[in-house]
Amino acid sequence: MNSQSQSQSQSQRRKNFKIEAFKHKVELDPKYAERTWKVLEHAIHEIYNNNASRLSFEELYRSAYNMVLHKYGDKLYSGLVATMTAHLNKIAKSVESAQGGLFLEKLNHKWADHNKALQMIRDILMYMDRSYVPTSHKTPVHELGLNLWRDHIIHSPNIQARLQDTLLDLVQRERTGDVINRGLMRNITKMLMDLGSSVYQDDFEKPFLDVSASFYSGESQQFIECCDCGSYLKKAERRLNEEMERVSHYLDAKTEVKITSAVEREMIANHMQRLVHMDNSGLVNMLIDDKYDDLSRMYSLFKRVPEGLSTIRDVMTSYLRERGRVLVTDTERLKDPVEFVQCLLNEKDKHDKIISTAFNNDKTFQNALNSSFEYFINLNNRSPEFISLYLDDKLRKGLKGASEEEVEVVLDKVMMLFRYLQEKDVFEKYYKQHLAKRLLSGKTVSDDAERSMIVKLKTECGYQFTSKLEGMFTDMKTSEDTMLDFYAKQSAELGDGPTLAVQILTTGSWPTQLTAACNLPPEILTVCEKFRTYYLGTHSGRRLTWQTNMGTADIKATFGKGHKHELNVSTYQMCVLMLFNSADGLTYREIEQATEIPALDLKRCLQSLACVKGKNVLRKEPMSKDISEEDVFYFNDKFTSKFVKVKIGTVVAQKESEPEKQETRQRVEEDRKPQIEAAIVRIMKSRRVLDHNSIVAEVTKQLQSRFLPNPVVIKKRIESLIEREFLERDKADRKLYRYLA
Amino acid sequence: MRRSSNRKSSSASAAAGSGSTKAASKEFEKIDHLFNVYADKSSAIIDPEGIEQLCSSLEVDYTDVRILMLAWKMKAQKQGFFTLEEWRTGLKALRADSMSKLKKALPELVKEVSRPTDFLDFYSYAFRYCLTEDKQKCIDIESACQLLSLVLGTQFGPQVDKFTEYLKSQSEYKVMNMDQWMGFYRFCNEIPFPSLENYDSDLAWPLILDNFVEWFRENQK
Repeated sequence: MNSQSQSQSQSQRRKNFKIEAFKHKVELDPKYAERTWKVLEHAIHEIYNNNASRLSFEELYRSAYNMVLHKYGDKLYSGLVATMTAHLNKIAKSVESAQGGLFLEKLNHKWADHNKALQMIRDILMYMDRSYVPTSHKTPVHELGLNLWRDHIIHSPNIQARLQDTLLDLVQRERTGDVINRGLMRNITKMLMDLGSSVYQDDFEKPFLDVSASFYSGESQQFIECCDCGSYLKKAERRLNEEMERVSHYLDAKTEVKITSAVEREMIANHMQRLVHMDNSGLVNMLIDDKYDDLSRMYSLFKRVPEGLSTIRDVMTSYLRERGRVLVTDTERLKDPVEFVQCLLNEKDKHDKIISTAFNNDKTFQNALNSSFEYFINLNNRSPEFISLYLDDKLRKGLKGASEEEVEVVLDKVMMLFRYLQEKDVFEKYYKQHLAKRLLSGKTVSDDAERSMIVKLKTECGYQFTSKLEGMFTDMKTSEDTMLDFYAKQSAELGDGPTLAVQILTTGSWPTQLTAACNLPPEILTVCEKFRTYYLGTHSGRRLTWQTNMGTADIKATFGKGHKHELNVSTYQMCVLMLFNSADGLTYREIEQATEIPALDLKRCLQSLACVKGKNVLRKEPMSKDISEEDVFYFNDKFTSKFVKVKIGTVVAQKESEPEKQETRQRVEEDRKPQIEAAIVRIMKSRRVLDHNSIVAEVTKQLQSRFLPNPVVIKKRIESLIEREFLERDKADRKLYRYLA
Repeated sequence: MRRSSNRKSSSASAAAGSGSTKAASKEFEKIDHLFNVYADKSSAIIDPEGIEQLCSSLEVDYTDVRILMLAWKMKAQKQGFFTLEEWRTGLKALRADSMSKLKKALPELVKEVSRPTDFLDFYSYAFRYCLTEDKQKCIDIESACQLLSLVLGTQFGPQVDKFTEYLKSQSEYKVMNMDQWMGFYRFCNEIPFPSLENYDSDLAWPLILDNFVEWFRENQK
């Protein structure tokens, strides 16, 4: 009808080309909708009855399409809902009627069927899904199917609780050792997940976690009453692994972290203290007995819970501190310094191994170990001395025959202990003394080992720490050269006199010893004077002082029956023995007078000559063990030894006696004063004005690599500096000090 | 006696020797005259003997604190001696040119010294006055105790008593220096005695006072 006008307009207006829809309405036969629906309804029935094979997909699709097209979407949709609901109710009854174990199987089976049906239905109604459903804001078919399943099956009153109970019961049985059908379980839990994670959580996961928590709470309580720590931890680990395995087999992956934290909480966190402190089997026992497996297990289990590792660490720390404290204050052990230090090294080794084997080399545990050692090693103020004595023993004889690597290992271990010392300057003093004795007596196992030690100390403490020590080595070398030159030039004059070997020590590099010179035998004096003349000839302006307490001598002695021996003795001992060339017997006082050796040294000297079996070249009356001033000494004609060369020297480094210790400590305190003052001046020079507490803090920080200064001593030094006008008190604020340029 | 016989002969030479102008010596004539009463003829300085005489004229004891105050007013440098310059300084400041006027000026002087700012100056002067040798920085404990009683005895009696008791009983300190001397005065002013409640040894108090406080607290028990 319009075509004419159209063609007219077409010819007239080529640009706008319109097509208009039919203006008349095409009315569908109202019964058409009903008929079409019936077809579809029937199809759904057939699908649910597993008779879908006889249906024509194309026809059904078209029917649904037409319904929607002709605006019968509502009818189609509501019909779908009604039909599906009716079927689901039937299914529900079927599932409900299942007996015992068949319940789950039936449910699973029906679920599979439903999914298949749903798929087909969705395909048939795809047009509706895409056009009607969005515009009318209805739930899409697939989702609708799931929701209906959920509402009419899962949440059906007779099924919901039964389903939950069945599932939980199976889990419980599996936990107590039964074998269950894991595949079936997986399908069911997967079904719940498909229905929505909130369904999974509300209908299964939450109750599962609650039940598990109380299960493990009960079990852990039971175990802890009857198991020792190690066995308990094994059980806990086993349960943890079981749960993880359970999840991987038939639960949703997101449940893993929830169930494991429930187990961790119930079995570990709630019993941590009790486990760690358990009598006879707790952490401390494990440490003592090196139970690496148990410790490793404890570490990995406790790592999972908050405060777990810190609990282990704290208990370990307080155990170590106490053990260390006992070690360093044990008077029996303190009698042997070398043994004492070896003990500490063994403890360190033991715990290092525990940390690396069982605690995964955890740095925080390493730190706890270090801080514990630092704490107790400084409880005994003789630790620096003893560590030096240990080194002395090793460098003197202990490392004899050891390879270079072995030497390094030992020295490095000792350096670890050294680092813990607070009073490193005390160590330095003793090390110097002991090194001096080693060098002068020539008793060092290897020059390389000595040098290696110096290098380590230099790396740790800086150049100043070791510069004097290195000076000692230089002196030894220079002395060698000097002696060669002396003998080359003077051999004619010396003739038959005793052979002299002089070590020239630079004062300042060597430990200060205030020696009273003793009276040397005339033969020695002569050659000594010759040397002095020679030396001062080439080094004018220097002053030589004989250190008679540090020397050694080799004497040829003839005893009764013509037995000849060569005695290696200290200088003091030589002076004493030479007296017996002109007298057979001498009293203590006569010896004292003739030699002028200081009393304490003389007694020690005589003791080593007369009271030591196998070395008694002198005989004492009375034969008591100690030297008294009334004693008389005789040349021991009857002395015998199977060795031709007999060593009697007493120049070995040994633990200091009480008065010597006091003296050393006093010297250390004296040495500290200028160091403190230097620190104060340094600080004040840069800060100009500072309050008292800050100065104390800064000084302590600056000196901490050497020693811990006493705040009272710091105050005294400040006052001394005020008196000497390096500092003054601030006139306005008397809490402040001011640097005076 | 020797001095009085020298008086007349030396007065003129002493006046001339000071090198002041005629006008100045006119101003100081009476003061100088008084000076020469006590000065030694050969040194032209009042020496310890002269001071002793001066004391008896003033009717104060040789060891009286007022002599020390007089020395302070004179800014005397050397203990036991007054030079002409110093004498002139002091007496001019006191507006005294005769013995009677000087006697009357003493109570005023005492009042002046007890004013806080002046007292601080006097207090530190007292210490320096006792340093007899060149480059000496400390005075021995015995003398320090005496000086403390003299100078602070009236104002801070209890503290001085206890502190001197402590000083005499200990052997660590054999001398006292200026810093410690001044510290004690501050201590008396700032710390309530005998409670010592706000004394904190972590602050910058001289160590000698830390030790004193510790000793005092020990003895309280």
